[in-house]
Amino acid sequence: MSALRNSVRDIVVVGSGIAGLTACDTLRAEGFDGRITVIGDETVAPYSRPALSKAMLRDQDDLTSHLLPEATHGALERRGIAATGLDVDRQRVRLADGDEVPYDALIISTGTRARRLGLVNRSDEYTVRTLADALALRARLASRPSVVVMGGGPLGMEIASGAIGAGCATTLVAKGVPLAAHLGALLAARFHDAAVAQGLKIVKADSAEVVMYDGTSVVALGDGTVIEAQVIVSAIGDAPNVEWLATAELLTGGALVVDRRGLVRPNIAAVGDVAAFPHAGRVARVPLWTSAIDQAKVAAAALLRVDAPELTFQQYFWTEAFGISLKAIGPTPVVGKAEIVEGTLEQGLLRWRQSDGTATAVALDYRVPIPKLRRLTARSLP
Amino acid sequence: MIKLVLDRPRCEGHGLCVEVAAQLLHIDDEGYAAIDVSEISDAILATAQAAARVCPVAALKLIGEEAT
Repeated sequence: MSALRNSVRDIVVVGSGIAGLTACDTLRAEGFDGRITVIGDETVAPYSRPALSKAMLRDQDDLTSHLLPEATHGALERRGIAATGLDVDRQRVRLADGDEVPYDALIISTGTRARRLGLVNRSDEYTVRTLADALALRARLASRPSVVVMGGGPLGMEIASGAIGAGCATTLVAKGVPLAAHLGALLAARFHDAAVAQGLKIVKADSAEVVMYDGTSVVALGDGTVIEAQVIVSAIGDAPNVEWLATAELLTGGALVVDRRGLVRPNIAAVGDVAAFPHAGRVARVPLWTSAIDQAKVAAAALLRVDAPELTFQQYFWTEAFGISLKAIGPTPVVGKAEIVEGTLEQGLLRWRQSDGTATAVALDYRVPIPKLRRLTARSLP
Repeated sequence: MIKLVLDRPRCEGHGLCVEVAAQLLHIDDEGYAAIDVSEISDAILATAQAAARVCPVAALKLIGEEAT
C-alpha cells in the first residue's frame, strides 16, 4: 500500500445509509486516522434498506431485521440535519441550519427518494424508502385496509406480498406482467402465479394517477378505470437526491456521474444509489445493497490513495415475495432458455448464458451461497 | 475477547459475509452461514466487522465490542 495522501485530514460524508457507513469503515481500514464527519437527514442509525419491504412487513413481532451492527469508525455523526448546499471552491458543505462544514475530501452518499404519483406528501399515498416509511405502512396494514400497490417491480411485489400476508385485500397495478421487465418472462411467471394463487389482484395499465374523488384519493387508470382503496402504495422507482448540488457544477445532465473509482473530482467521491457509475458498457445508477457497498469501498480508498483499484462490478440482486425467494448474480432480465444446473425449473439453480460471454446465475427458491452463484457466471466454464 | 455470533434463524444464506471473511466463516451444507472462528483478536477484528456489516439481515453480530 502506498502512502496516504497526507493532505487529507478532514473527510465529510453526506448521507448515512449503507454506502456512507461502508465508506467510513473503509477509510479506517485504509489507515485514515483523521476526522470523519457524517451528515444525514435521518435521525436514526444506518439500517438495512432491503429488510424494509421484506421482513419488516412480514414478521409479526420482530422489528429488528433492519438493524446493523453499531458503528466503530468513530466519526462525528450529525443526524437529523440535511445538507442544503456545496461550495466546491471553499470546500464547505452547507447545512439546513446555516452551519458550514469544511472538508479536505468529500463523500456524497445522499441516496434517493421514492417517486410519487400524487401530490407531494399526501397522507394517504404511502411509499417504502425509509425506515419511517416502512413503520408507517406496517402500522397501517395492521388494521387490514384495502390496498392498491402501484408498480410491478420487485419493490411493488414485495409490498403486495406483505399486504396480502397482513390479510389485506390487495390490488397491484403494473404496466405488464409484474417483474417481467426486471427478471424476464420465465422467472416473472413463477412470482405471478404464486401471487394470484394467494389472492393478489393484478391490473394492467399503461398509465395511472392518484386523483381526488368524493373526498378520498383513488387511482385513475389511463383507460378510465378507477380503483378505490383505503391505502395507496407507490413503488414506481426512485429519484436521486442531488438538488443540494445544484450550484456546485458536479452534475452531468442532472446526474451525478463518477469515474471507475467513484470520483467526481480528485477530492470528491459519490457512492451508493445517488451515483451513476460506468459498468457493462454504460453509465447508470444501480440502487442495490451490494452495489452501494462495492462502490463505497472503492471510492473511499480512491480518495486516500492514487493507486487504489477501479470498481469490478457484478450485480447481485435478491427478492422474496409470495413465499418465493430469488437470488441472481449477473445482468437481468434474462431471456431465452434456462440451463438447469441443479434442481428443477421451479426450484433450482438456473443459468442463462449471453452471447457476449457473460452469464446470469439464479437461485430460485433454492439455497445456495453467493460465491457458488458467482462461480457459475465465470466466463471459462468447467 | 470479542466474539462473532450468528443468529442462524435470521440468516438467509446470502453468503456475503463469507465473501469478505472466508477465513472466519463458511456456508454449511444447508446453505446457512457457519462460524469457524468465533474468538476475534485485534488482528482479525476489521475482517469480522466487515463480515457483520455486509449482512443485509443483521444475522451476524460482534459481542463484547467496545465502541471505538
